[in-house]
Amino acid sequence: MTSSTSPVLKFGLRLLAGPAGAVLVMAATFVAAALIFFAINGREALSLFHEMVMGAFGDGYSFSETLVKTAPILLTALAVALPARLGLISVGGEGQLYLGALFGTGAVLAAVEQPGWLLMPLMLTGAMAGGALWGVIPGLLKTRLGVNETISTLLLNYVGVLLVSFVVHGPWKNPNSLGWPATIEFPEGAILPQFFDTRVHMGLIFGVVAAIVLHILVTRSRWGLGLQVSRSNPRVGTTAGISYERNVLIVMAVGGLLAGLAGIAEASVIQNRLQDGLASGYGMTGFLVAWLAGQNFLRIIPLSVLMGGLLASADSLQLYAQLPKASADILQALLFITVLAVSSLWARRRAA
Amino acid sequence: MKKTIRTLLASSILAMSVQAAAETKVGFIYVGPKTDYGYNYAQDQGRLYLEEHMDDVETVYFENIPENADVQRVMERMVRSGVEVVFPTSYGYLDHALKVAEKYPEVHFAHSGGLKTSDNLMTYFAEIDQAMYLAGVAAGLTTKTNQLGFIAAHPIPQVLRNINAFTRGAQSVNPDVTTSVIWTSSWSDPTKEAEAAEALISDGADVLTGHVDSPINYVQVAERRGVYSVGYHADASQFAPKGWLVGAIWNWGPMMEGIVKSAKDGTWKSEHLRGDLLTGAAKLSDFGSAVSEESQQEVLDRQASIMNEEFQVWAGPIFSQDGTELVAEGDVMSLEETEKMDFLVKGVKGRLK
Amino acid sequence: MESFITELLTLLFAALRSATPVLAVVLGESMTQRSGVINLGVEGQMLLGAMTGFAVASITGDPWLGVLAACAAGIALSMVHAVLVLGCGANQIASGVAVLILGGGLSAYYGIPFVGDKIDTLGNLNHTFVSDIPLLGQFLGPITPTVLITLLAIPVISVFLFRTRTGLRWRSTGESLDITRNLGHNPAPYQLAAIAFGGLMSGFAGAALAVDYTANWVEGMTAGRGLVAVGLVIVARWNPWYALPAALLFGASEALNLKLQSWGVDISPYLLATLPYLIPLSVLILSYRGLRASGGGMPAGLKVVFQSAR
Repeated sequence: MTSSTSPVLKFGLRLLAGPAGAVLVMAATFVAAALIFFAINGREALSLFHEMVMGAFGDGYSFSETLVKTAPILLTALAVALPARLGLISVGGEGQLYLGALFGTGAVLAAVEQPGWLLMPLMLTGAMAGGALWGVIPGLLKTRLGVNETISTLLLNYVGVLLVSFVVHGPWKNPNSLGWPATIEFPEGAILPQFFDTRVHMGLIFGVVAAIVLHILVTRSRWGLGLQVSRSNPRVGTTAGISYERNVLIVMAVGGLLAGLAGIAEASVIQNRLQDGLASGYGMTGFLVAWLAGQNFLRIIPLSVLMGGLLASADSLQLYAQLPKASADILQALLFITVLAVSSLWARRRAA
Repeated sequence: MKKTIRTLLASSILAMSVQAAAETKVGFIYVGPKTDYGYNYAQDQGRLYLEEHMDDVETVYFENIPENADVQRVMERMVRSGVEVVFPTSYGYLDHALKVAEKYPEVHFAHSGGLKTSDNLMTYFAEIDQAMYLAGVAAGLTTKTNQLGFIAAHPIPQVLRNINAFTRGAQSVNPDVTTSVIWTSSWSDPTKEAEAAEALISDGADVLTGHVDSPINYVQVAERRGVYSVGYHADASQFAPKGWLVGAIWNWGPMMEGIVKSAKDGTWKSEHLRGDLLTGAAKLSDFGSAVSEESQQEVLDRQASIMNEEFQVWAGPIFSQDGTELVAEGDVMSLEETEKMDFLVKGVKGRLK
Repeated sequence: MESFITELLTLLFAALRSATPVLAVVLGESMTQRSGVINLGVEGQMLLGAMTGFAVASITGDPWLGVLAACAAGIALSMVHAVLVLGCGANQIASGVAVLILGGGLSAYYGIPFVGDKIDTLGNLNHTFVSDIPLLGQFLGPITPTVLITLLAIPVISVFLFRTRTGLRWRSTGESLDITRNLGHNPAPYQLAAIAFGGLMSGFAGAALAVDYTANWVEGMTAGRGLVAVGLVIVARWNPWYALPAALLFGASEALNLKLQSWGVDISPYLLATLPYLIPLSVLILSYRGLRASGGGMPAGLKVVFQSAR
């Protein structure tokens, strides 16, 4: 008897000791923390939780809105994860997103008369250039002057947001917008394609493709291996002909470029124009997701969907329970704290 | 604290009493926290008015919804949960609301402050600049330095209207008055608002007002520094027992009640509904003790002449900052012209954008 | 000439007012980082401190109790960071962001009943002898207690850090955990104390904003100042004395943004509003030689944090 059950038990235990166990413990801890939070505030925790799950994935519409939220989170998470491959901690996703929207819109305004086949690539190129610029500047400051990239990306976030405010209140304000601070409406040719009659748009595809390509590049290519070497020891890298400084600029530029795409997608598809309040906090959420995923590009995809779902379904908290918006932030923080704690303890246990 | 307890009581009593009848669900969406003691607070007071005065109405709300991807989803969620009348209360919601309104033709939308309508989307607003004009009269009669200070968030028409109305009101009784404007680039940043107030006072302004989310910050700084203040959005007189002059405040409840009723009984009209001093949707708060008896009487006389349409706030001549005549004597700006205002009048010191 | 001096003094004291909350955070965070721990969560701790301080001041009617409660709230929230970083060994940057979001959420959530309350303030130096000093009196008079306390903290921290044995161990913890251990000292209590002190100072900074300076609670009222303070720690090179000019630089650029408008400078207010971010960044850039040579005085233990982004 015992001899027949023990292999199953052993297998189960081994599974639990591995990553699957960590995920289970994380999920259980988070759900427990969330339920306690609801209970403290006198809400029917379980039914609220049910509403949230339905609000994220319950029907086609809900799922489509989850995916709408996913796109910018995914792209800004990649903008954090790629520099992290080189040991850089960038928190600049938000600013890069705004710069992408700014430059992409600039291209649209400059080429507004052009046909769609020309306008769309111009817009996307502009957006990528803008995002990349807001990545390269901290990169240059890092390599040339030794300025800490976390701090420079942080400060540049605020500047990016204000630059967008400046153009929409000033030089780019549509004179016929009834005084409202916004650019002209984008022409048909500058609206990114959407799918299945929902608001799910090309930005999501960009993100998924970028994640897969980056994963292959980083794990399979010479360049990716070079990043590993550079990261663990720049000097060894240099003797092997790998330029740490060039790699810093590349990862920061590519990261910024992706966040920039997120920005123009929001402006083009969601707002149909450039205006204030384009994205409130996608940069920070992307940062969270990148860390939750352990900077693994493939894991970022499902985690972005989950985070998009959590944020979109937080509607239920307000709609059915009349909990303030802040409750969604608290849940997000609880989730992050749980995952951080469990995964760190797990790693420590395995190291021991 | 007292305020919240009262609110809690009111809502729990209501929760008990509304269960029975077939209810109309009414949904509100706010761009900031409903407790900002400003614009969103005033709109939410309207919601509470509905809860209190209409037996067969149930309300839900969303707060802190930015004017981006979120607002359209939130509106759809409301409609799908059975909301029949939606109040998207921020200007930037307009295009999103038009999209959702097209998708759900049986649902009524009442947008705050916009200038576009569709079959099932109307707009509502109130000419609170009339009250700001009157507050300007009080300020113009009270100031000793002839310098007024205005703390403003963003240069959008609603803000420009208030700056201009306030200045014109003051100039109407005191031609030497100028208004200095400082932009904070944010609807809510208490530190910046307080510091802007300090800067204006140190430059010589002795009456402060503003158009940011909450009047509390600049009103308190003014009181501390011993100058006068004029409130906006919500009554902040308790924060300035000495220096409070008067305030321009909203009163959305009755107007919203009318809109919801019209949706229920089929008299709904796709229109630009505008309240004013006469309808009571915008009004003056009580005067503070700093305003003399004669000044109070003067303001009230002016109020009467606005209410019986003898006098119009936007009647010419109106000159821009550089002295160009914008509206000739005898002409009056139309509703549309005032609602897309993009100039500052003569006597205002500050940059337009 | 006299009006010029008056304008200059106006600007300087405006800078000091805006700088005070930031200065408190820079001082606290410098001490945290001196022990080899970085905490980006100070923004959240500030917010929770601001809300708690305002709430307690409103309930009890005593603003000083509010200040104390704010410090306690800051410490309490910083313990989340301590548990994650010291207890679980989580990445410090990630943990800080978690604390930031948690503090923002909790303060917004539990602060709702207190919006629009009126609280008593801590008072100021008016009607004391300093307000009678010619020329300076008008500027010294309105100075409030949190400004004085924060300024006083500078020499106290400096003496502690550079003149005491405990301060020496505190610093050596940040330079190398291994050496500290080899010397027979346990680094954990120092790092715990360092995180708690950062919590205390950021909670206090929240009170300086909500209880003292604006006497008002609004959700998200710190508007990024805590995060900027973490950046200013590098500008200040982890030195309490340099913290003052670094924070004043930020305060002055905030004051200047508003002052330039009232002087009628013909630049968009949105561009002027970038000054508080661009000026500290420029200082970092300008001081790059020093940064390169010495690592800017960054505690060696911190460099490890920045090199372990996984």
